[in-house]
Amino acid sequence: MKAELESIQTEVLEQLKEITSPDDLETLRITYFGRNGKLTDIMKGMGKLSKEERPIVGKFANDVRATLTDAFEKTKKELEIRKQKQQLTGETIDITLPGRKPAYGKAHPVIQTLERIETIFTQMGFQTVTGPEVETEHYNFDALNTPPDHPARDLHDTFYLTDGKLLRTHTSPVQIRIMESQKPPLRIIVPGKAYRVDYDVSHTPMFHQVEGLLVDKHVTFSELKGVLVSFARQMFGDQTQMRFRPHFFPFTEPSAEADITCTVCQGKGCRTCGYTGWVEILGAGAVDPEVFKAVNYDPEEITGFAFGMGVERIANLQFRIPDIRTFYENDLRFLKQF
Amino acid sequence: MNVSLKWLKTYIDFDFSPKELADRLTMLGIEVESIKHLGAGLEGVVVGKVESISPHPNADKLIRCQVDIGDENNLQIVCGAPNVYQGMFAPVATIGTELPTGITIKRAKLRGEESHGMLCSEKELALSDDASGLMELSSNLSVGMPLTEALGLNDVILELEITPNRPDCLSMRGVAREIRAETGNTIKYPEVALIGIDIEGDTDIREITSVTIADPDLCPRYAARVIQNVKVAESPTWVKQRLESVGIGAINNIVDITNFVLMEYGQPLHAFDYHKLAENRIVVRRAMENETITTLDEVERKLNPNMLVIADAEKPVALAGVMGGYDSEITETTKDVLLESANFHPASIRSTSKEHGLHTEASYRFERGVDPEVVISALDRAAQLIVEIAGGTICKGVLDVYPGRKKPLKIRLRKDRVNFILGTSIEVEEIEQTLSRLGFGIEPNQTEVDSFDITVPSFRLDITREIDLIEEIARVHGYDNIPTTLPKGDIPIPPLNKHEKVRKCIRNFLLSSGMMEAVNYSFIHPNSFEKIRLNDDHPLCEATKLQNPLSPEMSILRTTLIPSLLDNAQHNHNHQINNIALFEMSSVFINGNEPDRVAGILAGEIGGGVYGNPYRPPDFFDIKGIAEGILEVCGIQGYELKQTEEPTYHPGRNGEVVLGETQIGIIGEVHPGVLENYELPFKAYLFDFDIEKITDAAVFSKRFEPIPIYPSIQRDLAIVVDQDLKSDMPMDIINTTGGEWVESIRLFDVYEGNQVPGGKKSLAYTITYHSATETLTDKAVNDRHDKIVQRLNKELGAELRM
Repeated sequence: MKAELESIQTEVLEQLKEITSPDDLETLRITYFGRNGKLTDIMKGMGKLSKEERPIVGKFANDVRATLTDAFEKTKKELEIRKQKQQLTGETIDITLPGRKPAYGKAHPVIQTLERIETIFTQMGFQTVTGPEVETEHYNFDALNTPPDHPARDLHDTFYLTDGKLLRTHTSPVQIRIMESQKPPLRIIVPGKAYRVDYDVSHTPMFHQVEGLLVDKHVTFSELKGVLVSFARQMFGDQTQMRFRPHFFPFTEPSAEADITCTVCQGKGCRTCGYTGWVEILGAGAVDPEVFKAVNYDPEEITGFAFGMGVERIANLQFRIPDIRTFYENDLRFLKQF
Repeated sequence: MNVSLKWLKTYIDFDFSPKELADRLTMLGIEVESIKHLGAGLEGVVVGKVESISPHPNADKLIRCQVDIGDENNLQIVCGAPNVYQGMFAPVATIGTELPTGITIKRAKLRGEESHGMLCSEKELALSDDASGLMELSSNLSVGMPLTEALGLNDVILELEITPNRPDCLSMRGVAREIRAETGNTIKYPEVALIGIDIEGDTDIREITSVTIADPDLCPRYAARVIQNVKVAESPTWVKQRLESVGIGAINNIVDITNFVLMEYGQPLHAFDYHKLAENRIVVRRAMENETITTLDEVERKLNPNMLVIADAEKPVALAGVMGGYDSEITETTKDVLLESANFHPASIRSTSKEHGLHTEASYRFERGVDPEVVISALDRAAQLIVEIAGGTICKGVLDVYPGRKKPLKIRLRKDRVNFILGTSIEVEEIEQTLSRLGFGIEPNQTEVDSFDITVPSFRLDITREIDLIEEIARVHGYDNIPTTLPKGDIPIPPLNKHEKVRKCIRNFLLSSGMMEAVNYSFIHPNSFEKIRLNDDHPLCEATKLQNPLSPEMSILRTTLIPSLLDNAQHNHNHQINNIALFEMSSVFINGNEPDRVAGILAGEIGGGVYGNPYRPPDFFDIKGIAEGILEVCGIQGYELKQTEEPTYHPGRNGEVVLGETQIGIIGEVHPGVLENYELPFKAYLFDFDIEKITDAAVFSKRFEPIPIYPSIQRDLAIVVDQDLKSDMPMDIINTTGGEWVESIRLFDVYEGNQVPGGKKSLAYTITYHSATETLTDKAVNDRHDKIVQRLNKELGAELRM
């Protein structure tokens, strides 16, 4: 009987290897474990055994039964895994089909640049203020130490309006408006639109500027350098060098223009920088005493500095758009690039 | 301004390479815009003399030339130029030369004849466009001489950008002074010592002419000399080369000398034909009403009393400081010259030059300011050069009327103030050295320590205050040598800016909802209002005009963002881009105010346009959803949408957003007439909000509301109502009847068609019931729900749809 059990175990284990479907497995189970199954039959014959044999064979039979039950379970799991695998294989999709991107818009490239500039100065404690775009001669020129016959007015080709007003040629008038209404210390930036009669590949009649002003009891030219160098490093990268050249603006003295190492050639010299390694990015200087006088500050006691930069110019150091008028066509193929 | 380094070196020595000099000048504030090496590429070109010519045996159009270039043997060069002749001096490009035009000269055989170089035209040397024949050189030149030397092309030209405050640098001497500040080298002034000793004649100038300044407010100084018996002719080569190198064309020796001295001293001069002056005298006066003058450019110009003229006894003979008169100009027949050296009021010259649109080397300098003290030295220098070059004698004496004489300006300068402003620790010695090299007089102040009394040289009209001196010290010290430090002062606390916050919220929402940001010019075409169907009396049509617009398209300031966005839609549609979702935030210009607005457009197709997310045309509820989003992110509730008559919109598909009595915006479908005007073949939807009004209404304070702990129960409700019933009416009834249990009502379907009777529509809602205090039972909810159904039926005639 023991031999019979052994042969059944071998037989079943062999057959299990061949099983490929749950139905076959069930049939096999019934063949051996069913009411009239082969193993069931043998178990039924246990009663005929002697008292001495019975526990021994009984234990052996239970072992066989347990082994086979385990084997059935294992095969069943294997079949399930195989089935799931088959099913999943059938569910394969073409992963190269396009993704369904949620719609999202993009900020205009000039505004993106403007916001970056604003963020950097905000972190240095500058507060954003704005002012009107339609200005008077007083705020746009006179109060900024640029009287009517000053040749510096030639530098700004101005749009005049019919009622004697003008479109501001820079954001600097806001300096005056703020100083008229507030007392030092001041740390402000003025982002906004400005206008000049100019229309070619590198000029648009409307453009954006960010003006900055820091006024306090003892502000030095070295601090102007510090603020602008910090700005340049954050805006253009840690390796950026900045140089300051003497220049002229009616409302600052001493005045400077600041260049950064060319963003195209990293200062080696290329067409963009005219082989100088430098590109101009902004104008700056210590606030001219005449400007302080125009707003009733005492220039002996109060000093300060101001700076102004063209946003399109800075944007284009990065984007390299050959004709900057493209910025204002609002072609979606263009806007989506940034 | 162009500066020739060769010329500059006659006034001051320096060892800098052109690049170094350019860098140093740039760092002094004289920006060098370009460096031009004049003879670049012509190093292998020499002066040759065609000793003999003979026909080419195999070609009719070619000639064999034997050319002497100073070597032992003549070179045979084959040449096809029509103007070659025996004895001609012409440039020869020797073997190995790479010409600026890119041609490399090689030994060659032309139709079997050896050719050892090339005889060149001006075009081949990139000197001009003249390719008609060989460039003919002067026979005075020595054979074999480098061409660059022969033509004065061994020179470097710096193009300088002189800022408006530095007219003193608009001359060779001025630039030399800057180099002195940098190097400390001495300036070599030309010797003007002969006047009064050797070459002044017997005739006294006072006997033959006079100068009267009738309007001294516009003419602080006028000086004149007379040179008699000159011979007007072509200038000698060295004068012509100097002028050409800085871009001034040669005219005749007298005029060229005035230009030469202009470039040398920065003092504009003018030479009159003495005999063409009525009564041979000069009157400086304002022009009279309706007077005219024909200037050197042969244009007759109308004058008025705001303009200063140089007149003779009868009529204007020059537009003072701007341009001379045609009738008194120097010609070949001129014998006696009256030479003017004067100083004029900058603003007057500026307005005259502007009014006539006449910008000359003279007006450029006068309107910026010329040193009144240089008048006589420049006049004497020119007189002497005229005698040297054109012969003649100088009349004894000089007429010098100088009503505007000023004392030299003195300014107190404090060392501590220098360092206070700059953040430096510059010492007294450096201050003294810098200022004296720049030509300032320095005396220590008697009472204050480390304080100076500075005398400003007459050529530095820009220096009037201590701060101006500080800038001088700073720029010579070098801006790069000033420390870089961070501000030490307190950071002011900025006030809360609600407007900016609202802007940011709206912008972020619009960007996240898939709209692209546009930025348009503030100017539009005046016909824009008509295109968006506004009548002339519509308030938005009152736009400010530009006095000097660039074009009609940019001639008025926009009062609304809508035309710009429609233009953008049209532009994109014309380029086959039809998924238009754009917005713009900008101020507009209305009645002297600049209200900030945000507007947007949806048109063409929305959606991803990809498999599973196809394009579809937008409709009113897309734009309404965006409008609702804008208001929601600004915490605005309780607004109404009311239909308007705004002509830009479809009359049945628009609404103004009203909060209390205030209109804060408008949304709607674009009127078909407007679409037609913008050639858009599809529907478009707009929103247009006033950011200021949104800011007034915005509420940003938020408070926690407990998350529901009791479960909610949902009930669907489909009703059939009259087609024209506004959907907010059932909404109201559900809300009020359901009371605090109604957590949300969602309209998930609107249906009109076969399944409902004619004139009816079906509205389907999901109502979510929830109580904050108990678990709602089915029965309780059903009771409440039934009440709603009953009221809907009673008040709106709504039938339940099964």
